Amino acid sequence: MRRARVLPVLLLFLAGVVLAQGFGDKPPVEVAPIGNVQVKAGGSKNVSLDFRIGSEFHINSHTPKSPLLIPTVLKLSGPDQVLVSDLKYPAGQEMSFPFSPDEKLSVYSGDFTIDAVLKTPAGVAAGTYPVSGTLRFQACDHSACYPPRNIPVQFQVTVVK
Amino acid sequence: MLASGKYLDRTRKHGPIKLVGDVQGVPAPDFTLPSLDGRKVKLSDFRGKAVLLNFWATWCPPCKVEMPWFADLQKQYADDGLVVLGVAMDDTEPATIAKFASDLGVNYQVLLGTDKVSDDYGDVQYLPTTFYIGRDGTIVDKMTGLLDRKEIESAVKKTLGTTYKPASVPVNQADAKVKEAVAGKVAPAKDTNR
Repeated sequence: MRRARVLPVLLLFLAGVVLAQGFGDKPPVEVAPIGNVQVKAGGSKNVSLDFRIGSEFHINSHTPKSPLLIPTVLKLSGPDQVLVSDLKYPAGQEMSFPFSPDEKLSVYSGDFTIDAVLKTPAGVAAGTYPVSGTLRFQACDHSACYPPRNIPVQFQVTVVK
Repeated sequence: MLASGKYLDRTRKHGPIKLVGDVQGVPAPDFTLPSLDGRKVKLSDFRGKAVLLNFWATWCPPCKVEMPWFADLQKQYADDGLVVLGVAMDDTEPATIAKFASDLGVNYQVLLGTDKVSDDYGDVQYLPTTFYIGRDGTIVDKMTGLLDRKEIESAVKKTLGTTYKPASVPVNQADAKVKEAVAGKVAPAKDTNR
């Protein structure tokens, strides 16, 4: 399988990350722009989806330490011509915070990447197919938390012969 | 809009009052919410009491820090007229919320929040958020995020220092109504918020 880094253009959206209290309509997590991904018909390709969390925030990892905490979950789906599988989340960072210095939470902060595998069935027609979904997360800063939120994740997959 | 920046938005979709901007001195929007034990709790039934209205959630670690403090304050200042109300902004099952609160020693009423009440209180997005509501039903203070316990107690004392002079209901009747509400003896009110 070939491995494609999907446009590590993180600097482009750095300015958009909200730093002030309250992020209004702007989420504290943003996804890096994802370019067109090429896959050979009948083949597969790994893709890496890059996310950036605003510097004042952290979000729960995919495997938080309490069932009451809301995990980060990426859901992606495409047409029959493109199968998304094997989502691989990074391990969380074990961190404690001023609001609970004796408790370690499993979180993401800064940049993180979720890997996925795209597969195309043999004989699929050449063409461009959309893959879309959402990243669900729940963010906190050092003194408060925001309700869970979904941000869209979408990109195009071009199947070539 | 007043010079202080506080005003009421009376044009929103849900009803007549929504908190916007600086809310000190603004009447607290009334609500009726279900409690964990299935009763309907109406904010205005506590007129004459100082109310600490805390929005929280089980997924909010900073909220967990404050809740035992609120339990202590409820115990310490109950005789002075403090009523603590927790509003859980969770999609979780009430039983899970109840266990969470019980594990933290919560001795005050926990209500199941709604988007409408959150909206009425200015779209409560930042948890914990606490409103201190004076005996006359107006907001004395609003605090967002985890604060020092001393700041919270100071706000409680300030709220307890407010006065209430009912215009049409004799004081003894108002007191009786509040006592019934605190004891959970008020007839269930129609829930219009969920």
